[in-house]
Amino acid sequence: MYLARAEIVSNVWKIVAREGDQVAAGDVLAVLESMKMEIPLVAQVGGHVSKILVELGQIVQEGDPIIEIDETASA
Amino acid sequence: MPKTDHNEVVEASAPADQRTVLTQRRTDRFARVEPKGKRVYTARERAEMLVDEGSFVEMAPMRSAGAGAGSGVVAGWGTTDGHSVVVVSHDAAVASGAIGAVMAEAIQKAQRFAIDKGYPIVYINDSGGARIHDGIFALHGCGGIFALNIEAQSRIPQISLILGPCAGAAAYSPALTDWTIMVKEQGQMFLTGPDIVKAATGEDASAEDIGGSALHTKVSGVAHLEVDNEEEAFHATRLLLSFLPTHKGGRQKRHDAVPANPHAAAALPTLVPEKSSIVFDMNKLLDGVLDNGARLELMPEHAPSILTLFARLDGHAVGVLANQPNARGGILDSKASVKAARFVEFCGRFDLPVLTFVDVPGFLPGTVEEGRGVITHGAKLLKAYVDTKSPKLTVVVRKSYGGAYIAMGSASLGAHANWAWSNSEIAVMGPGGAVALLHRRALKEAEDPTALRDELAAVYREEVARPYLAAEAGIVDDVIHPEETRDRMVAALRMLTHGSAV
Repeated sequence: MYLARAEIVSNVWKIVAREGDQVAAGDVLAVLESMKMEIPLVAQVGGHVSKILVELGQIVQEGDPIIEIDETASA
Repeated sequence: MPKTDHNEVVEASAPADQRTVLTQRRTDRFARVEPKGKRVYTARERAEMLVDEGSFVEMAPMRSAGAGAGSGVVAGWGTTDGHSVVVVSHDAAVASGAIGAVMAEAIQKAQRFAIDKGYPIVYINDSGGARIHDGIFALHGCGGIFALNIEAQSRIPQISLILGPCAGAAAYSPALTDWTIMVKEQGQMFLTGPDIVKAATGEDASAEDIGGSALHTKVSGVAHLEVDNEEEAFHATRLLLSFLPTHKGGRQKRHDAVPANPHAAAALPTLVPEKSSIVFDMNKLLDGVLDNGARLELMPEHAPSILTLFARLDGHAVGVLANQPNARGGILDSKASVKAARFVEFCGRFDLPVLTFVDVPGFLPGTVEEGRGVITHGAKLLKAYVDTKSPKLTVVVRKSYGGAYIAMGSASLGAHANWAWSNSEIAVMGPGGAVALLHRRALKEAEDPTALRDELAAVYREEVARPYLAAEAGIVDDVIHPEETRDRMVAALRMLTHGSAV
C-alpha cells in the first residue's frame, strides 16, 4: 500500500481520483489549497485507488495521508 | 644481509639495487591499499580518477602510521580541467580509514597547503572516525582538521565526497565544508554507527536509516547531492569546480556566452499562468533566460520549493535562486530558508553573482513552521543577501508578497538591479487576504460578498499591487516584458563585473 500524503498544511480543494480508479505515477490525485496556491497531489506510484482518506474542505497537516493506492493492483 | 621493515631480503649498497629497494618499497606501500566490500576503487585510484588524467601527485606517499601500513590517507594535488586542486582521499584499507594522529597530520598538511596557496580542496571521505587506539592524539588530530576546515571557509571552496560509512569526525569535517556529495547505498554519515546507537538508546536502525543518502539529501539537508556511483561523484565534483574560482578573490571562470534555449526563450511570454494560484515549472523559465549549457542543481530533493543551482549567463558562472511553484506552491519555510541562505552566503563568499527569480506566495505560517523556528531561519536569508557583495540581480516574474518579497533578494537587501514582469504583483499580501482584512465589515454586510470580494480584489490589484507603483517609486528599477529578461540581466551583469568588453 502506498499513501499519498499532504506535503504542506492545506485544505482539500479538489479530489480528482475516485475509489477504484487505476492511476499511473505522475497522475494528479487531488488538489490541495494553501497560501492561495492550488497544489497538485501527484501519485508517485501507479496502481489501484483503494481508499480516499479525506473529505472536501478538510484541513490537513503536512504528512497526513490523503489517498491510498494499492500498487500490487497495477494494470 | 639487511632486512627492510617488510622482511624482503635485499642486497646492500649497489646503486642498481637502491632502485630495486625504492621500487619494492613503493610496491609494498601501494599494494596494501586494497578495496573492501562493495567499494571498487582504492584511495589512490579515487584521487587519480577525480583529477585530470596523469595529473595526480601524492604529497607524502611513504608516510606510515607504523607496522608497515600507510598513513591512512592519500593526500596530494592535481588539476581538474587544467585548474589546480588539492585532494585528500581516506584509505579505508588501513584500519577502516580511522583517523589517527599520523593520518590527521597528513590531512592537515594538505589543508594548510590548500589554504595558503589558494586552491580548492576535495575530501574523499571513507572513514570510521577517530582511531580508538590513538586516544587523545586522535581526538586532537580530528579537532585540528575541523579548525582548518573552518579557517578554509573564508579562503577556498571545500567539497566533500562520502564514499563509505563515515562516522564521527569523518562526518563532522564534511559538515564544515561547502558541498557534500553522497554515493547512494554506499556512503553514509552519522554521529555513530548502528551498533553504538543500539547500545546507547536501544534504537534498532540500519546504517542507511541513520545516515544514508536518502536521509541526508532529502530530509536532513546534511548532504547536497546524491549520485549513483563513484564515477558520477567525481564527475559532479569536476562540474561543481568548473563554476568556482580557485580561491576567494580569484578570477571568475568565464566561458563563451551561449544563447538561451531558443524554444524556451520563445515560450517565455506565455509560460507563467496568469492566474496566480496555478503552478508551473520554474525550470522552464530559467531555460529561457540562462545560457543553454552546463548546470548543477544542489539540494534538488531537499526543500524543493526553492531551486538553488549553478549555471552560466553570458558565459559568466552565476548562482541562481528561484521559487519553484511546482513544489509546495513555491513557499518559503524553515528548510527552504536555510537552503537558500546557505547558497547565497556561499555565492557571496566566492564573489559569484546571484540571480534571483521570484514567484513566491509568502512564508508559510502556522504552528508547525513557527515550531521549527521559521522566523530565525527566514532571518538567515535576509542576512545572507545583505552580507553578499557580489552582483545581485532580481526579477519578480509573477507575485511577491510580504516578508518573502523582502527576503527574495529585494532592493532593500541590496539588489544591484531588479525588475518586475509587467503582469506581476508586489504587495504586503495577496489580493484575497488583503481584501478580506481591509474590507471585513463591508464584505460582511454585502448582499453578494463573492462579487464584492472579486471587485475589491481587482481594484487592489490595480491600485496597490501593480509593479508600476514600485517602478515609479524607484524600488523596482523597471517593469519589463518576459522576453527582455535575459538581455537586461546580461547588460547588468557586464556592468557589475566590468565585463563589458566580451
